[in-house]
Amino acid sequence: MTRTHPLPSGPPRRRLRWSALPWLGRATPAQALLAAGVLVFFALFLLWPIAQVVWTGLATKEGGFTTRYLAMVFRDPVLLAGLWNATWIALIVTALALALSLPLAVLGVRYDFFGRGLLSGLLLVPLVLPPFVGAIGMRLVFGRYGPLTQLFGLGGDLGFDWLGRMRVFGIILVEVLHLYPIMLLNLQAALANIDPAMEQAARNLGASRWTVFRRVTLPMIRPGLFAGCTLVLIWSFTELGTPLMFDYYTVTPVQVFKLITDVADNPTPYALVVVMLAASTVLYVIGKLLLGRGFDAATTKASTGRSAKRLSGWKSLAAAAPFLVVFAMAVLPHLSVILTSVSATGAWYKSILPADYTLDHFRQALLDDLVMGSIRNSLLYASAATAIALAVGLGVAVLVVRSRLPGRGLLDALAMLPLAVPGLVLAFGYLAISIHFKQLLGARAPIWLDVQEFPAALLIIAYAARRLPNVVRSAVAGLQQTPRDLELAGANLGAGKWRVLRRITLPLILANLVAGGLLAFAFSMLEVSDSLILAQKAAYYPITKAIWELSQRLGDGVHVASALGVWAMALLSLTILAANGLLGKRMGAIFRM
Amino acid sequence: MQRYFTLILWVAVLGLPFALRAMLSTDPDSAPSDAGSVRLVIVTPHNQDIRREFARAFDAWHRRHFGIGATIDYRTPGGTNDIKRLLELTYRAQRQAGRAASADIDIAWGGGDYFFDVDLRPAGLLQPLGIDPAVLSAAIPEPTLAGVKLYDFRKDKSGQVEPPAWVGICLSSFGIVYSPDLYRTMGLPAPKRWGDLTHPELAGAVALADPTHSGSAAVAYMMVLQRAMADAEADYFREHPQVASAPKAAWTKAPGYDAAIARGWHDGMGQLLLMAANARYFTDSASQVPNDVSIGDAAAGVAIDFYARVTEESVGSDRVRFVSPAAATAITPDPVGILRGVTGERLLTARRFVEFLLSPEAQRLWILKPGSPGGPLERGLRRPPIRRDVYVDQTHWSDTDNPFQAAGGFNQRAEWMALFGDVRPLWAAAWLDGRESLKSAYATVLAVKDEPTRAALIARLADLPITMADVAAQRAQRKKIEAAGDDIEQWKVQSRMDWAKKFRAHYAAVADAAEAARKAANR
Repeated sequence: MTRTHPLPSGPPRRRLRWSALPWLGRATPAQALLAAGVLVFFALFLLWPIAQVVWTGLATKEGGFTTRYLAMVFRDPVLLAGLWNATWIALIVTALALALSLPLAVLGVRYDFFGRGLLSGLLLVPLVLPPFVGAIGMRLVFGRYGPLTQLFGLGGDLGFDWLGRMRVFGIILVEVLHLYPIMLLNLQAALANIDPAMEQAARNLGASRWTVFRRVTLPMIRPGLFAGCTLVLIWSFTELGTPLMFDYYTVTPVQVFKLITDVADNPTPYALVVVMLAASTVLYVIGKLLLGRGFDAATTKASTGRSAKRLSGWKSLAAAAPFLVVFAMAVLPHLSVILTSVSATGAWYKSILPADYTLDHFRQALLDDLVMGSIRNSLLYASAATAIALAVGLGVAVLVVRSRLPGRGLLDALAMLPLAVPGLVLAFGYLAISIHFKQLLGARAPIWLDVQEFPAALLIIAYAARRLPNVVRSAVAGLQQTPRDLELAGANLGAGKWRVLRRITLPLILANLVAGGLLAFAFSMLEVSDSLILAQKAAYYPITKAIWELSQRLGDGVHVASALGVWAMALLSLTILAANGLLGKRMGAIFRM
Repeated sequence: MQRYFTLILWVAVLGLPFALRAMLSTDPDSAPSDAGSVRLVIVTPHNQDIRREFARAFDAWHRRHFGIGATIDYRTPGGTNDIKRLLELTYRAQRQAGRAASADIDIAWGGGDYFFDVDLRPAGLLQPLGIDPAVLSAAIPEPTLAGVKLYDFRKDKSGQVEPPAWVGICLSSFGIVYSPDLYRTMGLPAPKRWGDLTHPELAGAVALADPTHSGSAAVAYMMVLQRAMADAEADYFREHPQVASAPKAAWTKAPGYDAAIARGWHDGMGQLLLMAANARYFTDSASQVPNDVSIGDAAAGVAIDFYARVTEESVGSDRVRFVSPAAATAITPDPVGILRGVTGERLLTARRFVEFLLSPEAQRLWILKPGSPGGPLERGLRRPPIRRDVYVDQTHWSDTDNPFQAAGGFNQRAEWMALFGDVRPLWAAAWLDGRESLKSAYATVLAVKDEPTRAALIARLADLPITMADVAAQRAQRKKIEAAGDDIEQWKVQSRMDWAKKFRAHYAAVADAAEAARKAANR
């Protein structure tokens, strides 16, 4: 059923002027203003803190500029091997995550089968693995005498050494199972945005299903594909925790981490960060050349609703099976955290399941004076950060997609930078800025800049900056898939820029914004480095720092920390499920116009 | 409906902890009022339990002695590296802003003696403690234990004792933690000495701490080295009893003495290399090693005493046991220091805090069982006090080991310990930078079936292409460059890179030999 656009109510209030056309022609004053705002945000909260820290790798002792440490990075075969390993591991992880997500996304959007709504929501849940206890949980799963070894009846004298044997294979597997939801979310949003009429037309013209998919569907979801691929690519290129867990030190992020935390003052890691940032940018640009260029969204917005084909009987179960298998594999570490939280201390040894259960760890967690405050803090920080990230991210996306602003490609690449910067570097950068201001302004320094007295403001900004790439990629993909005609039509009928944005653009890209905002919120709740270093007073601890503190406790620390982790997982999983449900409903409402 | 169900569930999960908390805690948190109490800002890596118990105890102590309470405002940016960076940033910014040093933080507490002695003090971040010398000498009568300084004890050029800038508050020792269960399965005798961790059966099953991250872990490896040197010295003395009876200054002049010590050093480096070859990882988390041993992921490891003991207690001594290696325990103090720029009222309070920490009352707080008189309220802190006299009465103590006795029988040598700074980058090059080639060479060697050939290959792998004389030369060169004011950082990076290259070539050569031996055996 096809309908026309609803006319905006009321008579046109303004005569059509050139400048009233949203985002047409060269930069308008409004765009210039927006660009200035976005640039100030980047400069203050991204480039400056990074420069504060990275400068060590480019400066001589006297403070002059030097490239000698950069040159040393390229003379060191170990560091070069690290760069090479990080690159190919990231490429394989991206390819596998795509290979895993694309069929699932298509299946989930095209067919209606047993438990579809719940299953496609559950598939996103593996994203929310709490730090520290998550890693401990994963180590447990892969333990020499862990549940996997017991399940398969493996092992000699020293059990079965999964971590030691799998190494790179294990790294790739774990990263794919952790990162595929990012890809999936973006693909789902992209698939929901395309017009089924196009595919139907192609089928009518005699194209086979495969041809339709290859020649019609794939090109139309390219923006979502690009968003998912670049996010996963850069994420896995700069991933620290997973290779560290598999004791694999010859990848750049681990080398940076090991050298930065080396007690000897060494400029190499900072030079290496510069190289890593450059390499990430190059990877991003290559991706853009391959996938993201010249996308024309003239006609892709759906004008009819997609009716999923209902499957029944064994077909329905067969369609649900891959969802279940992937979910079951990806959720193992989460399961391990849950079991740790209810296992009596030390009762999980050489067995598939713990031998003895208790709820005492939850009680301990509730009684700890850090926990309740940290829950409140984290909810506040993450919500505020998501709001800021959405506002800035939307601004960037509008400029990148809808303006002719010179250098908008650069802006786009810049917005990906937070994903590539090691968390430690950005956190120390914020710390340096805060201290710098405090010393410069003395007593006149505003309290919100003093991270030692009141870290909340900088934590929120740090979270927002760090999660910007997710929002920007989603919003850009959404805008690219939304024909400009719709906005022009609105403007033609006399709506102002704000009204067009509010009544036309935002509703049309809502699916993408929800997807991006969801990731931003979930990852902000789980952010590690900024939380550890910036939140120095117990009253301002977020959940992640509380988990870290609890895990340091002697004896039952890991269990109590897991209990808090379980709560965080439950809340974030439900957030995702609820948003996913909401999204499904809304998508139908938006696209059947 | 399903949508609402999820939303309702979401609200329920969100509210649950708040509701349960309200039910669990019968009395409302009565936070002590800050009004009318003195305030102290402390930066520390100590855990929450330690922070909480000492804040409470100091408040009570201060109230009792001075009639007014004390509030501690803790700053916890993470581990020692993070604290160092925070302090450096602060003082650098002050310098740039042209301000006099004025610390926002009064005290740095915890992180190990290396952190205070090598990082904080030389960087000028500490000021002399200025506490009553009588209090110090009553608490710590002897400035050293087994050659390790218990407080900042040094003499200036005229032989005068300088005022100390830090003082140890409790002790920590590194030892071997192992899984009796796994050792039984493997049919190996329980480890007693550091050298027992080189057993090839333990390949991939030894959990080690990263020597480049933790000062105290590095001290433990230094003990392995010094033990080997002391053994070589003892052998030499057995053959040359006349030298042993001569004064110490004459030893190095005796023919063959230096060569014997150098041999011992080389043996120690080889022993450490085989431990590194067995290493499952080099972690920077103190709790990971005992945890991994407790779940059987590692058979043995190097761990801090109190982490290991608490794990042993909570999972049972069949799965985790801690041993202090015979006559080679690395015992180090965990200090406190007052930061530069603290003056006036705050300095007074800071000094009182240090004196409080040294009091028998605070010392017992470290080790008493929770709930016992004068002990911690919630959980035991379980670290050995530094005051020797409190060990006399061990009623209600959680652990009764006495590090002052464990440290007996072995002395760190100042002249050997002086090599420390130059040996550590070698470990980084040999163990971390050469990690992948070391692992693959070791695996190739272990795949050789013929036992004598394999043993010979292992010995060859341990025979690192480096001598003590190389290190001495390296040290001399470093001093020269430092004196000339040249770019020492670049030199350090370059030299570590060069050594790593040399070591990798060595591992590759051993791997080739092993491969050839394996092929020859198959033919």
